[in-house]
Amino acid sequence: MKFSHSICALFTLLSCSTFAANDTQSLPVCPTTSHQLSHNDTFGVQYQLSGAQHGTLQLLRSQAQTAYYNPENGVAEWWNFAIADHPSFIRVFAKHQRRIDYYTGDLRTLNIKVSQAEMESFATAQLLKQLSHKGPATCDGSQVYEGDVKQMHYRVIWSDELGLPLELSITHNGQTKQWQAQKLIPANEVELTLSRWQQFSDTDYADIGDNETDPFLAQMINQGFVEHSEHAVYDSKGKPMHGEHIH
Amino acid sequence: MKLNAIVLAMTTAIAALALTGCGDDGENGAVGATGPAGQNGTNGQNGNDGRDHTAVNQWFTQGQATVANASETSVSDPKGRAKNIILFVGDGMGVSTLTAARIYQGQQRGESGEENRLSFETFPYSGLVKTYSSNQQTPDSAPTMSAIVSGVKTKDGIISVSDAAIRGNCTSGQGNEVMSALELAEIAGMSTGVVSTARLTHATPAATYSHSVERNWESDRDMPQAALDAGCHDIASQLIDFPYGDGIEVALGGGRSYFMPNTVTDPEYARAGRRNDGRNLTTEWTSKYSDGAYVWNREQFLAVDTSTTHHLLGLFENSHMQYEADRADDAAGEPSLAEMTSRALDVLKQNDKGYFLMVEAGRIDHAHHAGNASRALQDTVALSEAVRVAMEKADNDTLILVTADHSHVFTIAGYPVRGNPILGLVRGVDDSGEAAATYTTDSNGMPYTTLGYANGPGFGFGSDAMNTDSYRPDLNLYNVTDVDYRQEATVPMDSETHAGEDVAVYARGPGAQLVTGSVEQNLLFHVMNYAGDLAARAEANQN
Ligand SMILES: [Zn+2]
Repeated sequence: MKFSHSICALFTLLSCSTFAANDTQSLPVCPTTSHQLSHNDTFGVQYQLSGAQHGTLQLLRSQAQTAYYNPENGVAEWWNFAIADHPSFIRVFAKHQRRIDYYTGDLRTLNIKVSQAEMESFATAQLLKQLSHKGPATCDGSQVYEGDVKQMHYRVIWSDELGLPLELSITHNGQTKQWQAQKLIPANEVELTLSRWQQFSDTDYADIGDNETDPFLAQMINQGFVEHSEHAVYDSKGKPMHGEHIH
Repeated sequence: MKLNAIVLAMTTAIAALALTGCGDDGENGAVGATGPAGQNGTNGQNGNDGRDHTAVNQWFTQGQATVANASETSVSDPKGRAKNIILFVGDGMGVSTLTAARIYQGQQRGESGEENRLSFETFPYSGLVKTYSSNQQTPDSAPTMSAIVSGVKTKDGIISVSDAAIRGNCTSGQGNEVMSALELAEIAGMSTGVVSTARLTHATPAATYSHSVERNWESDRDMPQAALDAGCHDIASQLIDFPYGDGIEVALGGGRSYFMPNTVTDPEYARAGRRNDGRNLTTEWTSKYSDGAYVWNREQFLAVDTSTTHHLLGLFENSHMQYEADRADDAAGEPSLAEMTSRALDVLKQNDKGYFLMVEAGRIDHAHHAGNASRALQDTVALSEAVRVAMEKADNDTLILVTADHSHVFTIAGYPVRGNPILGLVRGVDDSGEAAATYTTDSNGMPYTTLGYANGPGFGFGSDAMNTDSYRPDLNLYNVTDVDYRQEATVPMDSETHAGEDVAVYARGPGAQLVTGSVEQNLLFHVMNYAGDLAARAEANQN
């Protein structure tokens, strides 16, 4: 998948909430050195989106798994790169306690291709290489990067420890969206969430079309809930939301 | 009526099994609101308690009568002429799919394509099959395959249980199970096989060996506790606990996780099995059959000695097997449908009493649901190759049927020039009848593909740019012949739907002459039953 698509995909997902913004701006979280986290640990980060758009998004990571979860609508996109060439992808609908599982052939028919590095890095792994290093940031082991890519201005505070941005702001046509890490989600919470999702009733994407009498799936099929674009994301009524794509 | 006597109420057959001690279901037949089992089965006269469906089920009696008439008026093979029966089913393989796949295959060989014939299009007999189920104009695979293999139409979502049952209601199905051709073949002492590129527990293969009021009850985890408590069994377990004859000889396909306990991790993927009951059905297979083998990748599969292995279970994917287009890229390696058919026949042919084999190209349906014509056509060509193998390996004493369970809303539009790439944009002919210099365009001046869908996920590649002025994507910007391309759809839906028109059936071998004209889908069972005299052979072998 092209880098721009990855960013675009994530930002479709990330910008899906429409609830009012939190007025009090939290400071970026600094990972604590007492619990030295590394890229391979199980942990999560909650991001708050502010500026031109608002929303909350949780990134959950455990071994080769990365999930993006929108707590507002209960929809998650959950990747497992245990077999790097054939990642598994699951879309979680927490409010319905249902899952749609996508296998290799399904992902191909949907033209969904993602890079593990992009998924794990909040879609910034490629971006960093195109920005200039501006020096250390306030949190230990974090660095500021800044620059322009394809008419967008990016500013990233990158945590080497987490392999994630603590802050990411994107300015385009005078409008700025800012993602800010709000809090760390502890390993046990991440594991609990993933194991809860594991228990949800699952349907193969390929089987959706043969199960139109299942009320949940019928809603998915007819309202475009399941798969409308390559990384669809949905509002609380199941309507796909076409967030501002950033190419 | 010998037929009625053996195609008797399933409860009777199940009760009989308890006698032979090879089933754990005996209790189902012995108790319940319908009273003692067996009477209707043995006297073969009436079915007023609803059990002997062969005497009272309208689908069954009408199909039987149609065959009886045809067998007297046609150029006729006598009843029972076919020693073996092979049934091929392309899931969702409507007539437009056949036409497009025929052209696709020809063009892959560098020909113009239209003149090509798929292997089974050379069969001497063919007909049209009405596919409606007993409650839907446009059906799913559960009632359609039930009709094909049991002679009885039923409701959507129900597998080899008559429509006296209510979908998803366990007790409503008990006593209304209808016997399949594969089960009769086993009772007759024949060898049997089920091959599919879908999960073996998926509706089409499941209809040959299991009975379920809900097609989604593929593992115990997929069933409500009430259904388990009421004595219903999941589909995967029914394959292993199969109570007739000496058990199914060959079962090859996908769906591995449905056979594995949730405490065991899949050998190919980092996922646990789906069974909550702790059963590992793959190891049960090899302990149940001393001449049995279980394989899960192509290398193991090709290494099986088919002369000594008489019960072969192959589960090549966690869920459905790969599309043919993606098969070469599978991590663990998967056999093709033709390879599975070939080796299944090697195992089955060793029985002097003959065999019954069902082969399903299960993923044509899924590619269509995804609006992805290329993969649907490649899987159809793979079915054609599997049939070719059967044509080569099966002797003249074998009835081969090729059909579909239902169609899809898949269209082939006008007016491309002869030989135009079937997946491509329409390029017509000019006023002198020669290939036009430019693509044909719609009223907005935009090109379009020959293939399309009446509904489904629709436009080209994901969220790429569309020409919003014309309300259609500018297909000049797309590689429409790419394997991943999704054809346009008129009505936007996230999953393309089945279609309600007739499908084709092709036949060769003894009894093939019965396959002609326009027929009800449940007739196909009666054709197989007549050609193979399955019921009588089963009865003879039981006594
Ligand atoms: Zn289908």
